[in-house]
Amino acid sequence: MGREKRYSGQSRRAILSRTGIAAVAVAFAAGGLASGATAADKVTVASWGGSYQKAQSEALFKPAAKATGINVTEETYGGMSDVRLKVKAGAMTWDIVASGSGSASRAGAEGLLEPLDYDVIDVSTFYPTLKMKYCVGGDVFSTVYAWNTATYGDKGPQNWADFWDVEKFPGKRAYRGKVAGALEPALMADGVPPEKVYEVLSTEEGMERAINKIRELKPHIAVWWSSGAQHAQLMKDGEVDMTTGWNGRFDVAIDDGAKAAYSFNQALLDYDCFAIPKGAPNKDTAMKFLAEISKAEYQANLPNYITYGPTNKKAYEIGKIDDAVARKLPSHPDNASLQLPVDIDWYAKFEQKASAMYQDLVTE
Amino acid sequence: MSDLVLRSAGSLATQPNQTELKQDALRERFALFGLCSPALLLVLIIMVLPVGWLFWLSFLGEDGNFTLENYQRMVESKSYARIFRNTFEVSLLTTGICILIGYPLAYFLSQLPRRAANLCMITVLLPFWTSLLVRTYAWLVLLQRRGLINEWGMDIGLWDEPIKLVHNLTGTLIGMVHIMLPFLILPVYGSMKAIDRDYMKAAANLGASPAQAFWRVFFPLSLPGLFAGALIVFVLCLGFFVTPAVLGGGKVIMVSMRIATNIELFFNWGAASALGVVLLVLTLVILGIASRVLRFDQLLGGGHGS
Amino acid sequence: MSETTLTGGALPITIRDATKSYGAVFALDNVDLDVRSGEFMTLLGPSGSGKTTLLMVLAGFTRPDYGSVKFGEREIVRTPPHKRDVGMVFQNYALFPHMSVAANVAFPLKLRGVSKQEMVERTEQALETVQLAGYGERRIDQLSGGQRQRVALARAIVFEPRILLMDEPLSALDKKLREQMQIELRRLHDKLGMTTVYVTHDQREALTMSDRIAVINHGRVMQLGTPEEIYERPANRFVADFIGESTFLPVTVQQGVARFGDQSLKVAQMPEAGEDLLLMLRPERLQLITNDSEAADGEANRFEARVREMVYQGDSFLMYTVLENGTEISLRGMTRRDTVSTLPAIGDVIQLALHRDDTVLISAEEP
Repeated sequence: MGREKRYSGQSRRAILSRTGIAAVAVAFAAGGLASGATAADKVTVASWGGSYQKAQSEALFKPAAKATGINVTEETYGGMSDVRLKVKAGAMTWDIVASGSGSASRAGAEGLLEPLDYDVIDVSTFYPTLKMKYCVGGDVFSTVYAWNTATYGDKGPQNWADFWDVEKFPGKRAYRGKVAGALEPALMADGVPPEKVYEVLSTEEGMERAINKIRELKPHIAVWWSSGAQHAQLMKDGEVDMTTGWNGRFDVAIDDGAKAAYSFNQALLDYDCFAIPKGAPNKDTAMKFLAEISKAEYQANLPNYITYGPTNKKAYEIGKIDDAVARKLPSHPDNASLQLPVDIDWYAKFEQKASAMYQDLVTE
Repeated sequence: MSDLVLRSAGSLATQPNQTELKQDALRERFALFGLCSPALLLVLIIMVLPVGWLFWLSFLGEDGNFTLENYQRMVESKSYARIFRNTFEVSLLTTGICILIGYPLAYFLSQLPRRAANLCMITVLLPFWTSLLVRTYAWLVLLQRRGLINEWGMDIGLWDEPIKLVHNLTGTLIGMVHIMLPFLILPVYGSMKAIDRDYMKAAANLGASPAQAFWRVFFPLSLPGLFAGALIVFVLCLGFFVTPAVLGGGKVIMVSMRIATNIELFFNWGAASALGVVLLVLTLVILGIASRVLRFDQLLGGGHGS
Repeated sequence: MSETTLTGGALPITIRDATKSYGAVFALDNVDLDVRSGEFMTLLGPSGSGKTTLLMVLAGFTRPDYGSVKFGEREIVRTPPHKRDVGMVFQNYALFPHMSVAANVAFPLKLRGVSKQEMVERTEQALETVQLAGYGERRIDQLSGGQRQRVALARAIVFEPRILLMDEPLSALDKKLREQMQIELRRLHDKLGMTTVYVTHDQREALTMSDRIAVINHGRVMQLGTPEEIYERPANRFVADFIGESTFLPVTVQQGVARFGDQSLKVAQMPEAGEDLLLMLRPERLQLITNDSEAADGEANRFEARVREMVYQGDSFLMYTVLENGTEISLRGMTRRDTVSTLPAIGDVIQLALHRDDTVLISAEEP
């Protein structure tokens, strides 16, 4: 029966969603060759599109579809606000959505997602922090500090305290314009040990302390960045001498000739995950499909397409990932141990409050 | 009275084809309305409904119930007031600079022979043919710390340290003025071209020096175009997103950018819709005051004597 | 009732060698012209003749290539328009649409720093002069064409210029209003007494209003004279053709006697020079001879012609006839009962008489 291409049938309600627009559907069917699945088994996956979804598609969805015989239809979407609309309308058409861990956590708390069945999905070899009740980790990335090697040579900053030290490392900084990943480095720079960061941040005084620390650095912050493309470009152009940002973007910029380096020391380890929205039409198949793509053999494919790491530790052990590549990944055991895992619960509880304080600071 | 009754009674009974002609007139009016209705429907669908929808959403909380929290938040958090002030400041400044640059430019164009003016007009309009994003990033390349302008400036020795031209208000204004300028020049040029040259001759003949003729006759006559252009620029600026986001370096935060942030942060359209509603209301209020103070109607008609 | 009057006295205008060319075309070709003080001078010519250019040179909007223009003793050819102190009425009036009637009229006074009170008074006077008292607060777009014309005139005279220029000011008005305004303008001129230069292409308007007319063509003054001189004794074929209706018959001169074919002509005056002459026939000067007694008048030249067509025009009729040699000439007569009752029928052969005083010979050469 070969490959079959079809387009997902969108419900009329999907028009309300600003993202259901370009539903490019690619379906993979292995027909009767697949084991344990009938031809009727199918799932619809919604992700962010672009090179990120392409990597997911090549590394996870296509091979898993082939192995299980489940028909996969891919769509793009705009985030949990779309899921909320569809759930509220009672017209869910997606079985699996890709999401940031923080959004997934909040969407779960709001009742927009189905709890995952970890009897079906085997997460025994996962990093323990890279899964939650409503969402299973799909890839790992880090929020790191990067510096211009033309400005500082080999003697770049070693930790967040150095990032804050404008005497020792004079030069322009860029920092995130949103609160996510912005407060933790400030506390570490202020001397809070990594394991205490979220504890301190869980009080108003703690947040105030972080905000004040950033206020200290504010005169040296030339740019408040708003996207990964932007902070990568800032380093490439030498517009700033030091910035925070996502490791994968810096790798691309360095490959592209940027005079930059970054460190995993005290970086924030975060992950993207997969969730099943409430009312998913093929919930059980979706669960099976998530179990499949969470296996180490698929997770090990990811770094071939994007420099985000697998969430399944075992992926490093099955010899599929080249060692040189592995050492660059955020979730490599050597790197992971240096980092502070992002606390999803803290974000669920405090992000809105912290964001208001942070915006006050930025607009001051 | 009796005359009136007689006439109306007579007309009902005897005037040939009166009823039929009246019916024809009515039918014609209905037909005309019918022809308009697709356009009216379109306006309803693409203008009225979304604004109403926006308004309604702004009163919904995360749980989907009626709430004022979206508006309360704007009062409680200092950043919102700053962002609104920022938005209006940037829009006013952009409009002001566009006037200062665009008006003399439009005047120059209006005085050129037609062919030269057309040629220059094409260069004014040329930016319209390139993507806004491309133009904005082009400015980034020119203005940044190691951008062309700073490199040249330091090569020639005009300045020693890189000047901060971008990732701040300066860069945002440069980018926005560049994009907005044609919107100002076009209506101003149009209204200038419509000014009969004889007015200037008449003014000169009556004893006005060129400067007096310009300020007392030409300038007031060009004001309707200037106001139209300034209004277009100002309103377009209020909703600007890309240019301040790219050239402002996160330091120039406009309402539109905060709307995008809020959609992500609050999972809920209400928080963003409320911003849209407040921006809309503030804009209408400002325009209302402006039209009162500037008395648009008088600018379009004659002034008053002595 | 006080009225605007001229306090400084009128000024004569002296134009010498005024020349303006656009490429190979001469809009003004060495024009010499004297406008007397207080005179109503009309520049008359077809469109493109250069009459408007000459007016624009006087106003200062067109810079001549060379030449001299004097207002009185003062050479003004290099003076910018706003320092010339001449009033001007534009063809489209050029009233400022953003100002009221009063503000328009007060405009030149304001520029001259006249005190507020005086400004109001003089504006009111000027509006009275043009019979628009009480219209000061109106907007320009609330006025009719005739009223606008008057406002334009008030604005041009309110600062008491010693010279007034008018560029076809009546051309936008309908015929009846135009004729009424012609008389009014002329009366106003007589009252105010300023030197007036008036441009028109309407020969009847020129004849009605002017002290003297300068007929202009190809950037040159073809003839300068009183309306009567221009009409009765045109200097050349262009003037004869442009003013009034004429038919031209070729005339030869033998031993000082002008002949049309075999017929020798009794003429008012022989032109000084030229072999090739033309007899100018004005339709209203030809007379239909109905009986022998009238034809016996020895002071008239006679022509025999055949009636080809008759056109009724209300106050007059036009009769198209053909001479023996095929030349068409027309004759105009009043539609009085006695005339009409004796009219010939189409195809009749009739006798036409032209009095010797009306027998005008002009040079056939183009000037």
